[in-house]
Amino acid sequence: MSDLARQNRLAALRTRIADIERRPALAELGQTEAMAGGFPLAGAGLSHEIFADERRNSGAVLGFALGQARSLLGGARQAVVYLQMLAEAQEMGLPYGSGLQVFGLDAAALVLIRPANMVELLWAAEEALGCRAVAAVVAEVAGQPKILDFTASRRLSMRAQSGGASVFLLRYGRWRESSAAHLRWHVAPVLSAPTPFDARAPGASRWSARLEKGAVGQSHRGEWMLEWTENGFQAQQTAGAGWDANAHDAPLPDALSARLGHRLPQAG
Amino acid sequence: MLYLPDWATDYLKRADRGLGTPLALYERIKGGMRLAAVDREAVAAGLSPGQNLADARALVPSLHTRQIDRPLLEAAFADFADWHSNASPLVAVLPDQGLFGDLVLDVTGVSHLFGGEEAMLRALLGRLAGIGYRVQGAVASTVGAAWAVAHFAPNQVVAPADTEAILAPLPIGALRLSPLQIAGLNGMGLKQVGQVRGRERKALQARFGLSLLTRLDQAFGMLEERPVPRLPVAERYAERRFADPIGLMDDVLMCAHDLAVQIGLRLESEGLGAQSFHLFLYRVDHKVMCLSVNSARATREPAHIARLFAHRSERLGGDYDAGFGIDTIRLAAGSVSPLDAVQVGAFAAPDGAQDLDRLYDRMASRLGTLAVLRTKFSNTHIPERAVQLEPVIARTPDDPQAAPDPGRPRPLRLLPMPEPIAVTAAQVPDGPPAGMIWRRVGYQFIKASGPERLAAEWWRSGQRLQLVPPVKPDSKPGEVPPYLPQLPRFDPEAQTRDYFIAEDDGGRRFWLFRQGLYGGAAGPSWYLHGFFS
Repeated sequence: MSDLARQNRLAALRTRIADIERRPALAELGQTEAMAGGFPLAGAGLSHEIFADERRNSGAVLGFALGQARSLLGGARQAVVYLQMLAEAQEMGLPYGSGLQVFGLDAAALVLIRPANMVELLWAAEEALGCRAVAAVVAEVAGQPKILDFTASRRLSMRAQSGGASVFLLRYGRWRESSAAHLRWHVAPVLSAPTPFDARAPGASRWSARLEKGAVGQSHRGEWMLEWTENGFQAQQTAGAGWDANAHDAPLPDALSARLGHRLPQAG
Repeated sequence: MLYLPDWATDYLKRADRGLGTPLALYERIKGGMRLAAVDREAVAAGLSPGQNLADARALVPSLHTRQIDRPLLEAAFADFADWHSNASPLVAVLPDQGLFGDLVLDVTGVSHLFGGEEAMLRALLGRLAGIGYRVQGAVASTVGAAWAVAHFAPNQVVAPADTEAILAPLPIGALRLSPLQIAGLNGMGLKQVGQVRGRERKALQARFGLSLLTRLDQAFGMLEERPVPRLPVAERYAERRFADPIGLMDDVLMCAHDLAVQIGLRLESEGLGAQSFHLFLYRVDHKVMCLSVNSARATREPAHIARLFAHRSERLGGDYDAGFGIDTIRLAAGSVSPLDAVQVGAFAAPDGAQDLDRLYDRMASRLGTLAVLRTKFSNTHIPERAVQLEPVIARTPDDPQAAPDPGRPRPLRLLPMPEPIAVTAAQVPDGPPAGMIWRRVGYQFIKASGPERLAAEWWRSGQRLQLVPPVKPDSKPGEVPPYLPQLPRFDPEAQTRDYFIAEDDGGRRFWLFRQGLYGGAAGPSWYLHGFFS
């Protein structure tokens, strides 16, 4: 091998290492992610926390989680497991089979688990993450249960990582505890676009999603305005609201990685 | 057939050693206190059931009395009966003869384990007599004959050919008749079974009813009588007896695994798999605990079965009580179906379905069967009925007609019971509201679409829809609100719903409906039913 070739190769490796250092969550997992309509979809084996400010946004949060979980289905992974405590059903509503179709999710693929308390919910989540046939676990977490501490979330993250299924914890409130989740989202519903035939009718679902922790693809802490189409999420061009990380497909400048100051994915 | 004439008093004396003799249990019948059960000493002193309590006290001043607690005795006898399943898999209590005292064991195919019917009867009687129960028993070819012999000519084995000869001289009461029938027959001079047996049947039926003939036929085997077993009867089981009783749950689970290996081998040799497994724990103090687990698909893999029991035992928690120890453990397999051998290894395709079923089994065994649910569509347009949640373990086939219509927008989340809302400025007669108050928070709607009219199903007029009843403004806190739609069971106008999708200024999309029409008798009421994403 010539000197020049070796130099080039070294340089390429260095860039790659630098890249990995900037994106620790991905380095651990080596997963791939796909861009869907300008929105990077996270790969499998990650733990997500999806926050909404209030419980009445529960529909938006579930839609966002299922929209992501849908992309993980396939092959031997056939099921999405939904966990909700028994007492929460009337409070938040149960996923409705007929409404899942809009999200391209077959109702047969969703299994509802209704444990009596938080301990059993976490047990069931871990158990489901260990199964090779589960694509995603969507768990409804009401309030700030004491038992879901850093250790518990670390357990979930490691389970997700080793098992290869993703876990989505649906959380409500403005308070953030330290957690070991790989990614933390903040999701809020957004007024829908007008439909072509009836200006007064609500259109397709829209969300504003902010990545508060972790990185997906080239995007760190991005903010997107998303709309649901039959092909999945479609990012909308928003002017001014945050910055769209997708514009920065080129390697990140060094200054940015310093600004992120976020080497450890587990520290929250 | 075992008959324990003094079971009630024997049991109480065993449970409470301080109880003195003679003992009599009394109950209140029509305002009077009468004896319901008496022990041996009381009988010797001249007392009998049915006597007035005051008379009995006068006859025997040293009599100890207690009010009879039938539910307690019945429950205790049920436990006692279950314990006998270590002798025979089919144990029954005869409910029409009183819920304690008589015990039926099916010894078919079992007696050889004890060395013959005679030896088995002696063993069963001996072990009960040893712990202080007065007991009589008999083995016969029918339940009726065994009952008769156990009560009136006890402790013998009746060969099928001798049934006639042995039953004939027994008193008529041996046929399990009502006191009225016995008195009537005695009045006619028919005092023995043999006398009734030869009579013309028509006349007997006309005078004493069909039940006399039924009992007669049952005793002589003309009519089959099947006792209802107390515990599930399993054809395939494996059991282990311990010389020293064990108590720890871990030991029990380890033993369950060993038994699962045995039963798995047996099922494999027969080419079968089972879907339900029952673990019976026989305690030395004559109680049985039964743990049951179910599996979504037939299985015979010991590790899986053992894990299900491990999860099931975690749900048991504080209910597990080994008492003085467990001396026999039995694992029974039920719901068997053919299961072909599956090749595991090189060419096995990774089939996710099996992993999933395993997962659901584990979850159902720990969280309960009703906690692991799947969506099943049913063919109706009332939203809360169109989707039913059914246990994954007990899967029923889907109805192809019931698949939802993709053209109708349906919410992502549905409230199990619609909640009442107060709406502002709804357009009369069938327009969407401009805003609502739900859970004490006001919402202003920017956009809305609808209505989608869903009429009530007249063919299900007997069922009311389940709604959260709205609270009247003047009701006190804690007061149970009256069931609001105090409407007739079916009223097409009042139960018609108009559904709207409404979006508020924050982008939240709600699914709400108006039940009833404007101008109707009851007036419309508004409910929130679901959330879109």
